[in-house]
Amino acid sequence: MSTNNALTIDGLTVNFDGFKAVDGFSTVIEDGELRVVLGPNGAGKTTMMDLISGKTKASAGSVRLYGRDITSRAEHKIARAGIGRKFQIPSIFRDLTVRENFEVAVTRTPGVLSNLRMGLRASERKQVQHIVDLTQLGDVLEKRAGDLSHGQMQWLELGMLIGQESRVILLDEPTAGMTQAETLKTSRIINALKGSHTLLVVEHDMAFVREIAEKITVMHLGKMLAEGKIEQIEKDPAVQDAYLGSGGIH
Amino acid sequence: MQSGRFDSVGVDVVAYGAFILAILLLPLFLDDPFWLNRIAKYLVYGMLGVAIALSWGYAGILNLGQGLFFGMGAYMVAMSLKLQSSTSLQQGSDSPVPDFMLWNAQPGAPTELCCISPSSFLWLPFQAQWFGAVMALVVPVVIALALSSAIFRLRVSGVYVAIITLASVLLVRLLIVDAQPLTNGFNGLTDLGWLTVAGFEFDPYLTQTYYIVAVSLSLVLVLTRVLVGTRAGLILQSTRDDPNRARYLGFDVAAYQIFFFTVSAGIAGFAGMLYVIAAEFASPSFMDLAFSITMVVWAAVGGRSSLLGACIGAILINTIEATASESEMFQEAWRAIIGLIFILVVLFLPRGLAGVGQDLTARLIGMARRPSAAPDRQASRDAAE
Repeated sequence: MSTNNALTIDGLTVNFDGFKAVDGFSTVIEDGELRVVLGPNGAGKTTMMDLISGKTKASAGSVRLYGRDITSRAEHKIARAGIGRKFQIPSIFRDLTVRENFEVAVTRTPGVLSNLRMGLRASERKQVQHIVDLTQLGDVLEKRAGDLSHGQMQWLELGMLIGQESRVILLDEPTAGMTQAETLKTSRIINALKGSHTLLVVEHDMAFVREIAEKITVMHLGKMLAEGKIEQIEKDPAVQDAYLGSGGIH
Repeated sequence: MQSGRFDSVGVDVVAYGAFILAILLLPLFLDDPFWLNRIAKYLVYGMLGVAIALSWGYAGILNLGQGLFFGMGAYMVAMSLKLQSSTSLQQGSDSPVPDFMLWNAQPGAPTELCCISPSSFLWLPFQAQWFGAVMALVVPVVIALALSSAIFRLRVSGVYVAIITLASVLLVRLLIVDAQPLTNGFNGLTDLGWLTVAGFEFDPYLTQTYYIVAVSLSLVLVLTRVLVGTRAGLILQSTRDDPNRARYLGFDVAAYQIFFFTVSAGIAGFAGMLYVIAAEFASPSFMDLAFSITMVVWAAVGGRSSLLGACIGAILINTIEATASESEMFQEAWRAIIGLIFILVVLFLPRGLAGVGQDLTARLIGMARRPSAAPDRQASRDAAE
């Protein structure tokens, strides 16, 4: 098993009282890859992210991050191991300013006692500057995060994940509720992360998927249905069957 | 770019400085030992306001059982002071024995602290005053650590935390009332000796005793303000806003909650100790539900997200209460008035008095900045000429 693979998911299963939301799901995501996960509603996409990030504990199977087993660890430990997660509904610190949000995100020492200090280290300050540049939120740094526009909140959350220096970033519908211009900016940020970060993106917006995707995994009923480049996926008869009734991929 | 932050620190330095100066200078203007002693007690309540603001405002943990830690702090030091009282020392035994232990003793029990009742030996180390003072911090902190570890490791949150803390304070109150031979039950510990440091006796009505409380409050205010200004304080506030986000950034949210809950309990225990020094008694009424809820009201009125605001809220409400209850008419109506104030503040001033103060200073700073920049320069030139 090469440790060059960022994420190795093997037979991942979760059983909710007999209902298997994710059922023997396996895939390998290489270092620096951007993988899009598609699937009709209820396919288990978000549950799969819950399993990777530790929100839900797996009933069977394993998740390895660069060869290291992180299956069903506590959320903060998985986060420290290098997995960042963005939620569908922006999850940010609303009563803190944008700057404070970023400052929390770039904190390298997780413990209480090691944070009984004032100010930022030089490396942390540099990191804040880096994500401010990338997300272009420089004009709203002193604004309360809860007062931002929907798009700005999404970028703020994205920026926090980057500030966290996660090697693998899980994005759950990063463009949900965004205008076209906002979607474009989001795809720019995501494209800028390619290579330096490994990304796993759940998304429905096909225009956006075409903008960013390299390789696509299609899930259905908790299982992997197909995997490949976007052209292959669109022609795959099994994928077309799965989407029948939900209107096909559009 | 960073001016916003520096301004708020600057404003805080001025506000905290002014408050501390005011309470330290008060004895120069107030030449009434009775009132000075009263104010000392209110400053202790102010310290409780700080403790509530830290846990409720900064950590988002509504602790309805803060009286538990206040009460434990009070009892620990009261036990030591009880053993120093002249009645305890004059029981004709080798060791001091509290009067109530004699009243509760079995016939024929030896009049010694070790064995007058089955559990009275627990009092033995309290013969040393420093032991009571240290325990007044250690016991609340240990209880808080155990209680909060259980609560936050199990990810209990919101109203359930309030219910558990509320139940805890009532439980401990029950135990203390029940352990009559050990604690004097419902009557509490009265007829206490004075705190004695290096031969000096701190009579509660002395200005020196007032200063013990005032200096302690100043230190607690400054240290707590510094604490919430650290990265840990910022991360704590992030766990209040969105615990899941904090978790996915790699922070052990429970560790932060436990730490600050415990610090808050330690402050409450310290306040309990000071209260006994100023008021000369400890009573199970410190662990009445009403008292713990009253603390929350003080903090809400003063402003729960401001340490100083909650502190001033507590002092203000108590001072008004003391003044109002002098007159017969207000005495009865007071509870209704305070309830009304609470409702009005919650409805119309969610950030309390501190919020009003912050808005006013922000407006003043804004006004001073914009139109007056030129006249200021003019004025300084005039002055120079």
